[in-house]
Amino acid sequence: MMGRSIATRVSQAGLSVVVRDITKERTDKVAELLAADLDHEIERWGLTQSEKKAILARIEFTTELPKTAGCDLLIETINEDFAAKKQLILELDAVLAPEIPIIINTSTLSISELAHGLQNPERVLGMHFLYPVTTTRVVEVVKGQVTSDDAFEKARRFVRVLGKVPIQEFESPGFITTRVVMPLINEAAHVVMEGVASAAEVDLAIKLGYDFRYGPLEWADRIGLHRVLNWLEHLFRETGEPKFRPCPVIRKLVRAGHTGATVGKGFFNYDSERSRLDRLPDDTPKLS
Amino acid sequence: MKIMVLNCGSSSVKFQVIETSLEAIEANTDATLARGAVEKIGLSDSRLSLEVPGRKPHQEIAEILEHRAAVERVLKVLTSQEHGILADASEIEAVGHRMVHGGEKFASSVLVTPEVEAMIEECVVLAPLHNPHNLRGLTAARSLLPNVPHVAVFDTAFHQSMPPRAFIYGLPYELYTRHAIRRYGFHGTSHRYVSIRTANLLRRPLEELRVVTCHLGNGCSMAAVDRGRSVDTTMGFTPLEGLLMGTRCGDLDPAIVSWVLAMEDVTLAQLNAMLNKHSGLYGVSGVSSDMREIEKACTTGNRRACLALDIFCYRIKKYIGAYAAAMGGVDAVTFTGGIGENSALVRSHTLSDMAFFGIELDEEANVSAPPGQEVLVSRPGTRVAVAVVPTNEERVIARDTVRVLGRVMPSFAIPGNEAPR
Repeated sequence: MMGRSIATRVSQAGLSVVVRDITKERTDKVAELLAADLDHEIERWGLTQSEKKAILARIEFTTELPKTAGCDLLIETINEDFAAKKQLILELDAVLAPEIPIIINTSTLSISELAHGLQNPERVLGMHFLYPVTTTRVVEVVKGQVTSDDAFEKARRFVRVLGKVPIQEFESPGFITTRVVMPLINEAAHVVMEGVASAAEVDLAIKLGYDFRYGPLEWADRIGLHRVLNWLEHLFRETGEPKFRPCPVIRKLVRAGHTGATVGKGFFNYDSERSRLDRLPDDTPKLS
Repeated sequence: MKIMVLNCGSSSVKFQVIETSLEAIEANTDATLARGAVEKIGLSDSRLSLEVPGRKPHQEIAEILEHRAAVERVLKVLTSQEHGILADASEIEAVGHRMVHGGEKFASSVLVTPEVEAMIEECVVLAPLHNPHNLRGLTAARSLLPNVPHVAVFDTAFHQSMPPRAFIYGLPYELYTRHAIRRYGFHGTSHRYVSIRTANLLRRPLEELRVVTCHLGNGCSMAAVDRGRSVDTTMGFTPLEGLLMGTRCGDLDPAIVSWVLAMEDVTLAQLNAMLNKHSGLYGVSGVSSDMREIEKACTTGNRRACLALDIFCYRIKKYIGAYAAAMGGVDAVTFTGGIGENSALVRSHTLSDMAFFGIELDEEANVSAPPGQEVLVSRPGTRVAVAVVPTNEERVIARDTVRVLGRVMPSFAIPGNEAPR
């Protein structure tokens, strides 16, 4: 999902994109889902039919890695799996010209560790796009220990071309956004587990109290609870901080397959359009 | 003299070379020698197109990364042996630049100096989507053609003659003093041009006439032109206000905006896109933003298409009445723009049942109005003349450039017309 959202945003900014996946079936599926995302955005009045056409026209799908050699910048968006990412960027390092930055899309993995052993480790840096990529205004641009100023600057400029604000930072587990938001989600889940209040009450209190768009649990549902669990586990492993130890409620929901808005059930229930179904009567927009 | 006219967008530079002079303006004989555009600036497959009357259109694909390179490329093709029309770039005697927003600073076209450039820069906040690109083109052209005068022509300038009662909104006054939120109006070059041409068509001095000009294209606006001065216009702080347009909503109860924002869980960007790109003829009909498609669909019984057409014409009719009241009468109603010039149905539907008002259309003349020509389509002898006048914004820019250089026009804001600060 992250890959196709990034591809959409990049194309929307007027740049040509090559999307590479390992099989034709997968690229076909990505193309189909990407078109469906755009149709959904048209229904939400965010896009027009002609803009959709233009976006699709700038995206090329391929299964061949060497096809990426003509790109000015490369972003990998495979699963948050260290070994798989390492293997992929080793292959990319051999294919791409040395001045082309390789951007790791991660929220928790170490850029320096991933870059280690490459022929050109200085071109590797991190970028953390936040969900939903098309509308979130910020992108974390993360410098590893050996990342060159040139690669870092190219990446920052690229983020500006996308119409987003680059936040520059040095690598650290969870960077800024994941590290700060994960304890909030985890603590909200603990409050529910302890029976202090229902998930709906907890979310409503935080949403209305601090003027958030969503409460932390609905937010977790929208991110995907399996991702939240993965990030928490990783942060806990990396830092040993108990605040990152995943709340058992999150683990329980993930084990039951209730991973959030995309599957229709997480802390709350959602329809096929990912709209939440079970809101409290007070959880409605206030016009005056 | 040969004038180059430039219109720079975010990823495009449109250009024309026009041969004109004070005498040619008087005789309406100025001529377009070449026109074209550079599109997709910033990409590796930017496209330059050139049209010269009597020749086959020419196209080039090349990597053109920014506006300066685009203007450079335009000069190169204009002076090339194979496709060009100039022996040397020095044949261009002046450059006219289209500027979207002149704020309250510019009431007419001006010769560009470093001070003027700085004042245009100050207007960027009012038109963040347009002025920066206009400025980029201006800077590029000034550096590439440093020895010729450059003139800035503003979409908003003509409407700077509106009195405060027409341009101040009924909002807390601080919004005007702090953020300059007021009605500016757009399409000013077009409204000015067609009002002048209407006077010419009627063989009467403009200073005697009260004209309602209707610029109906994909964007639509009307102006009340009282003896040559714009005293009101339908577009406002942005081009979203006023008439129903291709995809813009026009006049709206402002409370709807906050209501939709709260109820539909949309972002500001989605809301903006909804009002600008999903509304108007397209939003109401669900068919198209193109009036030709709407007319076709209505003829075949599509009720929503008929409704869109009806709303479109009804709003124009309402504003004709309003502007007649504002000017104490009306001598002519002029239609221009793609729809205004080409849709006999829109003209006829808009002006139906207005005989009480002195407006009577000559249906035959209306239906057979030849495209591209200035004609009267009202019945002879009626109190209010109805004219169809093709607009030509590039020509106005070229003419203004000549006039500014001949010091025929004043510059800067109109003294005594500002609202209290």
